[in-house]
Amino acid sequence: MLSTDLRDNVLVVRVEEKRIDASKAPKFKDEITRCIEAGQNQIVLDLSQVDFIDSSGLGALVTCLKRLGPKGSLAVAGATGAVSRLFTLTRMDRVFALHPNVDTAVEQLSA
Amino acid sequence: MVSSISLSIDSDLDKVSLLARAVRALCEDLLSPDDQDAVELSLVEAINNVIKHGYHGERGKDVQVAVGLQADQVMIEVIDHAPPMPTQVLDNASEDRFDFDETDLADIPEGGMGLALIRMNMDEVEYHSSESENRLRMVKRIAPLSR
Repeated sequence: MLSTDLRDNVLVVRVEEKRIDASKAPKFKDEITRCIEAGQNQIVLDLSQVDFIDSSGLGALVTCLKRLGPKGSLAVAGATGAVSRLFTLTRMDRVFALHPNVDTAVEQLSA
Repeated sequence: MVSSISLSIDSDLDKVSLLARAVRALCEDLLSPDDQDAVELSLVEAINNVIKHGYHGERGKDVQVAVGLQADQVMIEVIDHAPPMPTQVLDNASEDRFDFDETDLADIPEGGMGLALIRMNMDEVEYHSSESENRLRMVKRIAPLSR
């Protein structure tokens, strides 16, 4: 479901699924929580492979953000189409920094 | 032109995407890509609600979707046989759900967003319960310039 890559102390988590919906959200949340509990608090979530996300998927992201706490960062990279539209519609674009690609996001977080 | 089709799945979250993709494909010639996104999301949220809250995640229950394609609108009904949702739940669902304080982590919603999203994405949303079934009726009007 996820593949990870550590770059400049930023954990890049790539979602290897086309959809993050209610059937996938619990596992998605568990896997990211595991990264957070392993000590990562600068995370870039690469959503470039994802073409659909529902409110369960979005809720899972918010849960992860809360688990990270105020000292951590969870940025989103590569969201397009319906995925980026959901962030705007729910005003979650105020909560998650949306970046066009992973490089820009990592640069921002490691700065 | 009026054509209609009924589809159904077992109340299993793993099966929702199959139905959503099928309905999206049905709307392809009528709706713009943004409107197809809106319909797909609304349908997924509606079915998730039925499975999670209506049937409490129990599998083996029936979820039916009726799609009516007309010249000026796409009508989608989600039909279930679960205990009905209290009407005020839909009445109270609105974009206010997303009027949270982004600087306060605790205030950011983790759930309870589905019906608000349906309301924001569809042009008409109605809920009817009878003794035998519940019907959530959603309409997306076809914008004359979207074709």
